[in-house]
Amino acid sequence: MPAKTTIAAKTTKTAIITAENVHKKYRLGRNNFVHALRGVNLEIDEGEFVAFMGPSGSGKSTLLHVLGCLDNIDEGTISINGSNVTHMSGSQLTKLRASQLGFVFQGYNLISVLTALENVSLAVEYASKISRKDRVKMSREALEKVGLGDRAKHKSSELSGGEQQRVAIARALVNNPRIILADEPTGNLDSQTSEEIMAMMRELNKRTGQTFVIVTHDPDVGKECDRIIRIKEPPTSIMSPEARKNRGVQPGSVEGATSISPG
Amino acid sequence: MRAIRNIFRRKLRSALTIFGISIGVFALIVMGAMAEKINLLVDGGLKYYGDKVSVSDKMSGNLNIQPLSIKKIDEINEVDGVKAAFPNVFMMLDPDQTVALGTPKMIVAGDPEADKYESFKANTIEGRLIEKGDRGVAVVGSDLVKDLKAEVGKDIKVHNKKFKVVGLLEKTLTAPDSCVMLSLEDAQELFAKSLPPAIRQSVKPKDLVTSIVVYPEKGVDPEKLAKRINKEVKDVNASGPESFKKMTKQATMIFNFIMFGIGAISLLVGGLSVMNTMIMSISERTREIGIKKAIGASFARIMREFISEAALIGALGGLIGIGIGSLVIAAANSGTAQKGVVLFLLTPRLEIGALIFAMFLGVIAGLYPAWRAARMKPVEALRYE
Ligand SMILES: Nc1ncnc2c1ncn2[C@@H]1O[C@H](COP(=O)(O)OP(=O)(O)OP(=O)(O)O)[C@@H](O)[C@H]1O
Ligand SMILES: [Mg+2]
Repeated sequence: MPAKTTIAAKTTKTAIITAENVHKKYRLGRNNFVHALRGVNLEIDEGEFVAFMGPSGSGKSTLLHVLGCLDNIDEGTISINGSNVTHMSGSQLTKLRASQLGFVFQGYNLISVLTALENVSLAVEYASKISRKDRVKMSREALEKVGLGDRAKHKSSELSGGEQQRVAIARALVNNPRIILADEPTGNLDSQTSEEIMAMMRELNKRTGQTFVIVTHDPDVGKECDRIIRIKEPPTSIMSPEARKNRGVQPGSVEGATSISPG
Repeated sequence: MRAIRNIFRRKLRSALTIFGISIGVFALIVMGAMAEKINLLVDGGLKYYGDKVSVSDKMSGNLNIQPLSIKKIDEINEVDGVKAAFPNVFMMLDPDQTVALGTPKMIVAGDPEADKYESFKANTIEGRLIEKGDRGVAVVGSDLVKDLKAEVGKDIKVHNKKFKVVGLLEKTLTAPDSCVMLSLEDAQELFAKSLPPAIRQSVKPKDLVTSIVVYPEKGVDPEKLAKRINKEVKDVNASGPESFKKMTKQATMIFNFIMFGIGAISLLVGGLSVMNTMIMSISERTREIGIKKAIGASFARIMREFISEAALIGALGGLIGIGIGSLVIAAANSGTAQKGVVLFLLTPRLEIGALIFAMFLGVIAGLYPAWRAARMKPVEALRYE
């Protein structure tokens, strides 16, 4: 299968995201907490197109948030692009988010009072000191990539759900980040729009080699991905197939994860 | 500007906050304008009393002007360091006036000779000043022109006597504005008439003055000269510039205290309302802050965004407060001008100061909410509904 050989070629490269023994607890009270991530191990290679699937409440969003440096962890280490982010300061993480990561939120998360173009160009403004003119140009290009060039001046609250989702994707892509993390990017869309968006992301992944990690409940979406990381309740260990091969299967640490090949 | 757009997202609430600050600034402007007027009066007084000694009867007080014999001039002239001494009559223009709002309206008379020694010159905008030998004429201060319906060549009534107006004084914003100048002889007669009958019969008006102005020789400290006069001349009270300073310091201290009080209250009310607005605006926009942080907005950027919003609210409130204050002050001044009283003086430094103060208030009040917003973890903010 051609797809498989591509994966094999990519996995020879270094991992772009690694998580080792990651624990995340949500504190609810003084002695009460939810242990959402219980020792997650995972490796994602550069250029991979990976899906997180699993039942509701299994910790997919939590995992995506900690990988995207949006939340801190209680134990373990996370490395992005080779550098350990666990002990980075808030401002270092902010810089990393702005320059290396693109996040597509579940439920759009656009700023409703701003236009599509402004929403996208905000991400450029935070990431670099580019002139206003170039910022607008870059943002316009990103919107055109997702097929929304003609909606640039519309307020995001005046756009349809699918259009808003595409603006969010344009915002995640505009700085050409090496990693795009998308939390249920098609969760609110009909199957037609969902397919369009998936096709667009897949196409970008092929062309630019950017790494995509998406959370989804939709098996059809999962099928389009190189690899599905299944997160069971509670997730304990998830590894890339290559890494598992290299290290050997560690009993007791992998029962939460399986992987399937595409198609 | 983005900050303007953010403020107008919540029109009513922002308007109320801006209005709250406006009221604070308005209070500040009005009180400040009053203080500025008083400061100018005090400055004028300090300048006037700065280089001379003023001698009055030992029993004389501020509101209770006692007669002094003109013969004391000869005694004073004997004191070492005195260059010249001249008689003065100061008395109330309204006989029943007790407590004055603003500057008291005064009748002032002196010896035109004294002008040679005087550094504090009065100028007319129309007509002339009082000259030697004048009788039955008056020069009117600028604030009193309307009140007395004074015109050069026409008569005015002072203490029920007619006087012909020969000049109108230039506006100085200080004490002379609320004065009528008469010749010494006329003022002496009016003063004699105002005394209780028992005293009135035993003295000649010509011998009566209310104070004597003493010009020191070159290089003589007026303060030291006042001490010497007190020692060598009986039954008088000579005071140099220091005593005027002391007197006004007390009065201005009380006034400044009131000013400070009002300033503090407006600071509190205005500041709390800005803070309230900012906190509400931030909790409403928590998701937005989360989004911004998640896509890479730094702590400083979020801080800047909210602080500039708070400063803008402060500045708008300040501008409106200054505007309303100026209108009210103009109206009040033109209202009291009919009665010859000017209470307020709106200076540019007061207006600029109030504006800066209002912006500063906004920034201080916005600091905490901005910090709270900027410090939030992105996920926390994103989860917020
Ligand atoms: N802020 C929070 N405070 C407390 N518990 C939380 C918090 N966020 C998530 N959890 C808990 O952590 C666990 C994992 O939640 P998470 O949102 O990661 O699940 P998920 O896999 O994304 O679910 P879904 O598919 O429904 O989105 C759940 O049990 C959830 O109740
Ligand atoms: Mg989720």
